[in-house]
Amino acid sequence: MCGIAGIHAYLDVAPPVDRAELARINDRMAARGPDGNGLWLAADGRTGFAHQRLAIIDLSDAGAQPMHSACGRYTITFNGEIYNYRELREQLAARGYAFRSGSDTEVLLQLYADCGADMVKKLRGMFAFGLWDAEKRMLLLARDALGVKPLYWADDGWTVRFASQAKALLAGGRIGRDPDSAGIVGFHLFGSVPEPFTVWREIHTLPAGTTLTIDASGPQAPKRYYDVAEALAARANGAGHGDADARGRLSDAVRDSVRHHLVADVPVAVFLSAGLDSGALLGTMAALGAQSVSAVTLAFAEFKGLAVDEAPLAAEVAERYGARHIVRTVDRAEFEADLPAILDAMDLPTIDGINTWFVAKAAHEAGIKVALSGLGADECFGGYPSFADVPRSVHWLRPLSFVPGLGPLVRRGLSAAIDAGLGLHPKAAGLLQYGGDWAGAYLLRRSVYMPWELDELIDPALVADGLRRLAPLSHIAAALHGARPLGDFDRVAALETALYMRNQLLRDADWAGMSHGVEIRVPYVDPFFLAALPSGEVLARVNAKDAVADVPVPPLPAAVRERRKTGFVTPAGRWLREAAGTPALGAVDFSAASRTWALRVWQNGWTTSVVA
Amino acid sequence: MTVRILALVGDAFGARGGIARYNRDLFTALASADAKILVLPRLGDASGVALPAGVRQRPAIFGKLHFSLASLWTVWRFRPVDVVFCGHVFMAPLAVLLARLLGARYWLQAHGTDIWNDRRDVVRRAIEAADQVTTVSRGTRRRLLGWVDLAPERVRVLPNTVDERFAPGPASPALRERLKLGRGPILLTVGRLAASERYKGHELVFAALPALRARFPGLVHVVAGEGDDRARLEARAAELAGDTAVHFLGYVPDEELPDLYRLADLFVMPSAEEGFGIVYLEAAACGLRVIGGAGGGGGDAVPDARVGELVDPADLAGLVEAVMRLLGQDRVDPAAIEPYRRSHFAAAAGLLLARLMAQPRRMRGAA
Repeated sequence: MCGIAGIHAYLDVAPPVDRAELARINDRMAARGPDGNGLWLAADGRTGFAHQRLAIIDLSDAGAQPMHSACGRYTITFNGEIYNYRELREQLAARGYAFRSGSDTEVLLQLYADCGADMVKKLRGMFAFGLWDAEKRMLLLARDALGVKPLYWADDGWTVRFASQAKALLAGGRIGRDPDSAGIVGFHLFGSVPEPFTVWREIHTLPAGTTLTIDASGPQAPKRYYDVAEALAARANGAGHGDADARGRLSDAVRDSVRHHLVADVPVAVFLSAGLDSGALLGTMAALGAQSVSAVTLAFAEFKGLAVDEAPLAAEVAERYGARHIVRTVDRAEFEADLPAILDAMDLPTIDGINTWFVAKAAHEAGIKVALSGLGADECFGGYPSFADVPRSVHWLRPLSFVPGLGPLVRRGLSAAIDAGLGLHPKAAGLLQYGGDWAGAYLLRRSVYMPWELDELIDPALVADGLRRLAPLSHIAAALHGARPLGDFDRVAALETALYMRNQLLRDADWAGMSHGVEIRVPYVDPFFLAALPSGEVLARVNAKDAVADVPVPPLPAAVRERRKTGFVTPAGRWLREAAGTPALGAVDFSAASRTWALRVWQNGWTTSVVA
Repeated sequence: MTVRILALVGDAFGARGGIARYNRDLFTALASADAKILVLPRLGDASGVALPAGVRQRPAIFGKLHFSLASLWTVWRFRPVDVVFCGHVFMAPLAVLLARLLGARYWLQAHGTDIWNDRRDVVRRAIEAADQVTTVSRGTRRRLLGWVDLAPERVRVLPNTVDERFAPGPASPALRERLKLGRGPILLTVGRLAASERYKGHELVFAALPALRARFPGLVHVVAGEGDDRARLEARAAELAGDTAVHFLGYVPDEELPDLYRLADLFVMPSAEEGFGIVYLEAAACGLRVIGGAGGGGGDAVPDARVGELVDPADLAGLVEAVMRLLGQDRVDPAAIEPYRRSHFAAAAGLLLARLMAQPRRMRGAA
């Protein structure tokens, strides 16, 4: 897991790497590395790497980083886990490569020596790393296919810097805080900052599934090696399957992914809700032979004794699979006490991550270092309402979208009516204008605010600049650009996977988990797993989101299957709304709460010197 | 493979000034990397100037329309063209057009002041169309990226280079005698005294002199440079620092500058808006410690404490302290300036050309 950072002075005129700056960047990520940290400077002082270590595989000092190859040519600083490192190691050993440690990090070094930057295509895992090739004088930055591990970089024209956290780069003290209108507008639209932007103009996200090489002329254009839409199209192109066969493939894929995600030299736990996805993980772990797995469930004091309390059902699941069940109750007082720490740990503004913060906190208290999470299941099995809503919206409204000017006209009229007290969500006004195409319908479904609302919230000049730079609809459509057209299910899956899951869920899981030194592993977020599943069309037909209950042996209890229909709620919506200064009475709709909360988060002074 | 470059510039060979010199340095470097370059200038007369092998320069044409039409004709005969180089944002729209017509890559050079004044959308789009943009400083790059939407990796920095004439050497007693500067220490400022360039910070130095002379009674401030603001500055100097503290030398020819730098004890120019600050670099190349101004691209010629310090151009006390601190230090280590020498500049320019050539010709067929 861990945290990584580096500085490379590529232009001759750039001063050598400042060790103190690198140490400041690394120190800002101290929470990521409870098991040690390391700092390395090349002999010529032009390149430096730093590392914060959370030891999971090869706990000995042989696994310490930054790590050098035996020949001294390659150096790496690596964050993440390579789940197929043993297979890769065997292949390399068969070709004559010698290994000195049992770590997955060393496998990366040797794999790079073997096949260069193309190595990333062979990696099954979550990763972000910086690798220095002293002979070619080239720095390679890489990030995993789906974006589980974050990586931020900045280039001032002389020197390039990278780190696992954007705020760590700021803490180094050499990078400016000029606001990036695209990222700020993106946050207000989506509730998270869309890559490759951050809210700072000088800091960029290295997009998921890309590599970046830096040579003596500076960074080259980032190179994409994985694209979700293309992967789904390739999967759809595969052979068709009968429904029974499809269920079998689904089970095999889940089992295979969980098996890979259990690779560790410390015990692996699971975050358990009352839902099917995490229950299926626990059941599969048990079926694979994992003994007395720790399962952590979050409960809320406000929900005690109510139907929405997840703890009783989770307990039933835990019991079925012989897990050690840990129920951690959170109340509003704890939320308020933790809020300053949450905002400090939040690496980029986001409206989510609160639940993950507390479940990771609970895991840490229980001595857990690694936990599986059901994150990503809704994206691949079609668990979100968007899988029905977005295609329906497009098919119904597309004909109307050809009437010039009708959409904006209706939107203005409806907006006025909603302002005047018509009981509709403010976004509803844009249905006709946006609902007729994929990008628009998706924006409508996922947005916190819509573009026409932003002028009321932030500086209109910044809004205009940000909308031009971000181009939200083209930005969304880019997730679908794939060579071949996708079916409805796969289109929504591609959008949710490449946008919401990547920019919101995975980023939040990273900062919220790492704040407590807990590595969150996501077996449903894995390109090998995605490719092994039946096509989207088949997944929809066999109702994969429910079929996952039958993956473990024995299958999940009937009560858990029933529960999906009631949905999940947390009091976080109410807390957020109240923390944002608006008293909440009765039930609070999370969507409405998130609008207020987004503003509260943004008021935390992101582009001022307060933040870093 | 020979790369054929068409260069649209304000001026290059046979002209004075920093941008002309930069263009000459760049074209010389690219020609040595086996490029053929046709230069179309708006100013300057290269007749009688020995051009590097591989470089040709057409007679200058100042008129905008005439320049555009003549360049179309000339360029057509120069085909095939691999790269259209544009040395000034002013000509960027023409460069875009030519690059599209010729199916060539488009390389734009931005110097600093040229990109801040004209912020029309047409200019922004002409910049955004570039396959590669180079700037002289990190500051210029940062400001450019704050305005236009270009992928950050497309905007590279190619800093000024410093001529070999600027090198450490003994101070000339004859020059000291001729200038009648007393026993010093000597603070030196070199720069145009133009009313349009009051950001250079002369007056802040004048204001610092009384405090400095209290500590170093022999200290003098030598001001080299000429311009329409000189009379006003002379009056300000007398007012702020008395009659004997500041010596105005007027225009100092290039060939006399190295000796002047060698004579001085500290280079001081707390400028607020230097695009790069070539004088900082020339001073440091002669071994002189430098106090520059924070802001603009000045930091690029004063990269770290090996060369000098940057001060806030509005902070008088900070300037006084910096002068006191730096007067006690040794001359600049030549190793700190080595990366700005011509061989490094030529290597960097060659890499940028190779990098540009490795990109696909994205302009082809786009017209």
